[in-house]
Amino acid sequence: MGEIKDIRKTKRLQTIVILVFVCGLTVWSAIGTDFSFYEVFSGIGLISNFVFLDLLPPDVSASNSLLDAILETLYMGFVGMVIGAGIALVLSFLAASTTTPHPVIQVVVRAFTSIIRNIPGLIWALILVASYGIGVTVGTLSLILGSIGFLTRVFADTLEEIDTGKIEALHATGSNYFQILAQGVFPQFLPGFVAWSLYNLELNIRASTIIGMVGGGGIGFAIQKGIKLFQYKEVSMAIILVLILILSTEFLTSKIRERII
Amino acid sequence: MSQQIGKEKQNIYPLVSSDKEDIAKPKGDRFLKIIVICGVLLFVFSLYQLNIDYTNLWVGTIEFFTMLGEMFPPDFSEWQYVIPAAIESLQVAILGTVIAVVISLVLAFLAAENITTNKLFARTIKGFATLMRVIPTIVWALIFIVAVGLGPLPGVLAIAIHSLGMLIKVFAQSVEEMDGGKIEALKAAGANWFQIIAQGVIPTVFTALLSWTILRLEIDIGESTILGLVGAGGIGWELTRAMRTYDFNSALFITIVIFVMIFSVEMISNRLKLKV
Repeated sequence: MGEIKDIRKTKRLQTIVILVFVCGLTVWSAIGTDFSFYEVFSGIGLISNFVFLDLLPPDVSASNSLLDAILETLYMGFVGMVIGAGIALVLSFLAASTTTPHPVIQVVVRAFTSIIRNIPGLIWALILVASYGIGVTVGTLSLILGSIGFLTRVFADTLEEIDTGKIEALHATGSNYFQILAQGVFPQFLPGFVAWSLYNLELNIRASTIIGMVGGGGIGFAIQKGIKLFQYKEVSMAIILVLILILSTEFLTSKIRERII
Repeated sequence: MSQQIGKEKQNIYPLVSSDKEDIAKPKGDRFLKIIVICGVLLFVFSLYQLNIDYTNLWVGTIEFFTMLGEMFPPDFSEWQYVIPAAIESLQVAILGTVIAVVISLVLAFLAAENITTNKLFARTIKGFATLMRVIPTIVWALIFIVAVGLGPLPGVLAIAIHSLGMLIKVFAQSVEEMDGGKIEALKAAGANWFQIIAQGVIPTVFTALLSWTILRLEIDIGESTILGLVGAGGIGWELTRAMRTYDFNSALFITIVIFVMIFSVEMISNRLKLKV
């Protein structure tokens, strides 16, 4: 009886410590960012004014020029995904412990992709703009980098989860490295490969709508331009197009994923 | 000899082909092939439509690597501006996530189909959540900057709104996935709505909510580092300033700080996930 009480006591103590810690962090953050509810509530009037008077209704007549921009966003996202997936495919075979030719290569590739992954796409775009200039090249390249970072990790994780019995069987029959990859590993890996690539396409389309803001072309550029020129009704039209694009890709990819898995 | 082999072949081949017929090909296989072919076609079309200037690509790549060379060594001299900015980003992320979690905890229970008080209300909340989730954080930040001015406040609001959209969706999903028997048992015992949630729902979904919250905090810290690019405070602004003034050595230092921030958060949350 006493023991159970003790466990309960320590558990309760733990919960209280964690709660106090989280509350402390929140208060610290609120002080650091000068957050005040007064400012938020007094801002609500301004925000609703802005949304209902300036943003709405969306300017439908601008949709023609915006359509080109949104298609550009779609193309960038797709090209970024395909090239990224291609490169990530090679890298992930080097990075997975089941298929890597040498442990040192595995560590190097993992470290390299971790650096790429942990620097946000928008920051890659900002760095790339300095050397490529404004345009779709920057957007596509930073999406490729983002895709490589993300896909290499998930592909390698998928490769590490495959059934190794098949590989051993192929080894026993005297297959070489590439034969094992092609016959033993790849067929198991293919559904995961397509499903993750599709998810990456979703991520890319989200990312490519914002990469334009630092000069990567596409709809992000149109949104940024609209805000700078105070053409808010065009901005809201662009946001609606983004909404349609993201929701329809989400719908399509989830349907395809359902059929594959 | 050769006749014998021929005979054997004749014997073997029907066997092999009938084997193949016996093993039904997985249904997804052909579908997968169609998807891959469509993907390749769409890729070629997209690449054509993007109309990338390949000479610029080549020149730019050379320039990029020269720039990377120029970035070294990183310039640490402005750390007294950069580190507070990084801390501000962290604070923006924490505050935004906490606000989103608190509000979504209330709304998610109303949005979950199995315990909601009103189905129409649940649909409406979910619709708003989709709207909040689909508009990127940085666009929210732009909208809030126009409304409340520059500084960390629009950043906090942007992160809170975007996270709220995602958290309502995933929280409601985890509530919907829970075992309905528990709710029924509590209902049969005469518990009211609040009692059902406090005694039946929250204990069941607590770990799921916790891991979603940690994941969201991880994402938000990544996002708060870029909010500065549009003027919503934090380390992103320092990076924009450094890149605009071609101060590449400082830019490298700031990029390293951002990398360390996101990387350590990923490490910590991996540890926490193992514990939970």
